[in-house]
Amino acid sequence: MAASRDDVPARIDPATLLRPRRLAGLAGVYLALTVVVVQTLYPLLWVLSGSLKSKQDLINNVWGPPASFVLSNYADAWRIAGMGSRVANSAMVTALALAVLVAAATPCAYAVSRLRFRGRGLVVAVTVAAMLVPPQVMAIPLFMVARDLGIINSRVGVAFIYAATSLPLSVFILRSFFLSLPMDLEDAARIDGASRLTILTRIMLPLVRPGVALIVIFGFIEIWNDFFLAFLLLREPSVQTIPLGLVAFFQQYDSLWNQYFAALTITTLPVIVVFVLMQRQFIAGLTAGAVKG
Amino acid sequence: MSPRPQGVPAGGRHFVRGGALRRLAARDGTAAAVMIAPAAVLFALFFAWPFVQGFWLSLHHWDGFSPPRFAGAANYLRLLKDRVFLGALENNVIFVVAVVVLKNVLGLAVALLLDKAVFGRAFFRAAAFIPVTMSFVAVGLLWSWIYNPVFGLLNAALDLFGLSALKMSWLGDADIALYSVIAVDVWKWLGFHAVIYLAGLRTIPAELYESATMDGAGPLGRLWHVTLPLLTPVVFINTLLAFSGAFVRNFDIVYVLTKGGPNHATEVVLTDMMTRAFGNGQMGYAAAMGYLLFLIVGLLSVALLALMRSRRLDV
Repeated sequence: MAASRDDVPARIDPATLLRPRRLAGLAGVYLALTVVVVQTLYPLLWVLSGSLKSKQDLINNVWGPPASFVLSNYADAWRIAGMGSRVANSAMVTALALAVLVAAATPCAYAVSRLRFRGRGLVVAVTVAAMLVPPQVMAIPLFMVARDLGIINSRVGVAFIYAATSLPLSVFILRSFFLSLPMDLEDAARIDGASRLTILTRIMLPLVRPGVALIVIFGFIEIWNDFFLAFLLLREPSVQTIPLGLVAFFQQYDSLWNQYFAALTITTLPVIVVFVLMQRQFIAGLTAGAVKG
Repeated sequence: MSPRPQGVPAGGRHFVRGGALRRLAARDGTAAAVMIAPAAVLFALFFAWPFVQGFWLSLHHWDGFSPPRFAGAANYLRLLKDRVFLGALENNVIFVVAVVVLKNVLGLAVALLLDKAVFGRAFFRAAAFIPVTMSFVAVGLLWSWIYNPVFGLLNAALDLFGLSALKMSWLGDADIALYSVIAVDVWKWLGFHAVIYLAGLRTIPAELYESATMDGAGPLGRLWHVTLPLLTPVVFINTLLAFSGAFVRNFDIVYVLTKGGPNHATEVVLTDMMTRAFGNGQMGYAAAMGYLLFLIVGLLSVALLALMRSRRLDV
């Protein structure tokens, strides 16, 4: 990304900036950007404000902010939707899946990028091919395999399946991070007698930390938000994750709008906050893979 | 790639460093096997096994309980005459084409705006990206309120602007429900494609625009002769991402918004597949649907990648 101008301000020439034509153009740009932002953010603010209104307030006052804050909507939503156990299930499944993913993807990516062995090309080819096989098209046989393994309704089992579905892309991303590191460090350590595993954990891992962070962020959004595989494999209400809980709540109590908005806010806000806090790394990571400077 | 130290030949550098490293390299085979093992086990259990099992299953009649009966190609032949499936496939194709075109055109438009922003670019970029971080379920439920014919935001907005004549039952009318669903998918992913386009735009050297301007090119001329040609690799990436996503990642959004209704108007292959498998107990038939979808997506992705290779757009 050496040629990227991302951190440089846009092309501003002070001499031309204040010319009327230039100013009019800039005003047009900001007007259009405002439209873009309003259409993404207003619906979210609408949910937030709806979650704080009374039902009467929501019907009479569609657009505006709440007349008074009805915080009990949140307590009610938490109780009715059984959010406590859903949040715990989502957290457990996501954390375990990400741990398994990092533990499996990192050594594999290291091996295919830094070691010489027979079949290396095959492993890389299989990784790329697997990226083209979306897990959704294998839903039916995946269900059967899970049943044969006895992991339907098992949070631990589903976590391993999530790790597997994120594996090919993660190995591919990490491989490019390993390939970008110089060989010299590693060679010196090897001559000093360090084993491959020591080199990986002590020397290489700290250097590819941004790559690991990237697959963890991608994996987190993917797994935390997933509905499809959870719908397929977690059929018992006691083991279900947040997205399943939201849909069940919606279908069961379709007139509790305010509580519904509260539940939506509880589940959406944490991810948005994480994204806003980490957006620099996130967007840099996302675009580094897609665009070569 | 980092710059290569001078005098070190490309490829397998540590092999040319003489004896010690060469002897160590002989042990790499074992180390590699150990390091790949965990990934290989996950892959074998949850990719390879279902992949083979799915093919076997697609050649059988099976209700999920009684012993499977061999059916040969019967499931596949039946699919080619199944009106609901063919309708779902057609909807899927409309969905893919509309979504790929809209995400690219609107994504590029938003990226061009962001590129021109003198201040506050990070804010606008983050704001446009937020829907990407939301789950399909949250997005779907949000939009089912926006589309609600009685108290929904969209109809209220039309009233506000004096366009009450355009008010509709956005998800209830079979003629427009599919397009309403498509709009939601575009809304969710727009920021994602805009961010990738923006990164591409930022790599175009400013001098090229300056010299184009000196040659008399207007804003549209610069877009056509400078921006788009240099952006071709990014267009391919965005197309590939939008394309593969649109075929197989539409179950959540369709299920939450319409469940494939009204009267199959928004049915896509995945929703049809799940209904057949778990609603009607046609496991073998549903597996054949999954396989056919895989073949279509796989072949088209390979074709797109080959096209990129042939245009030397190595990614």
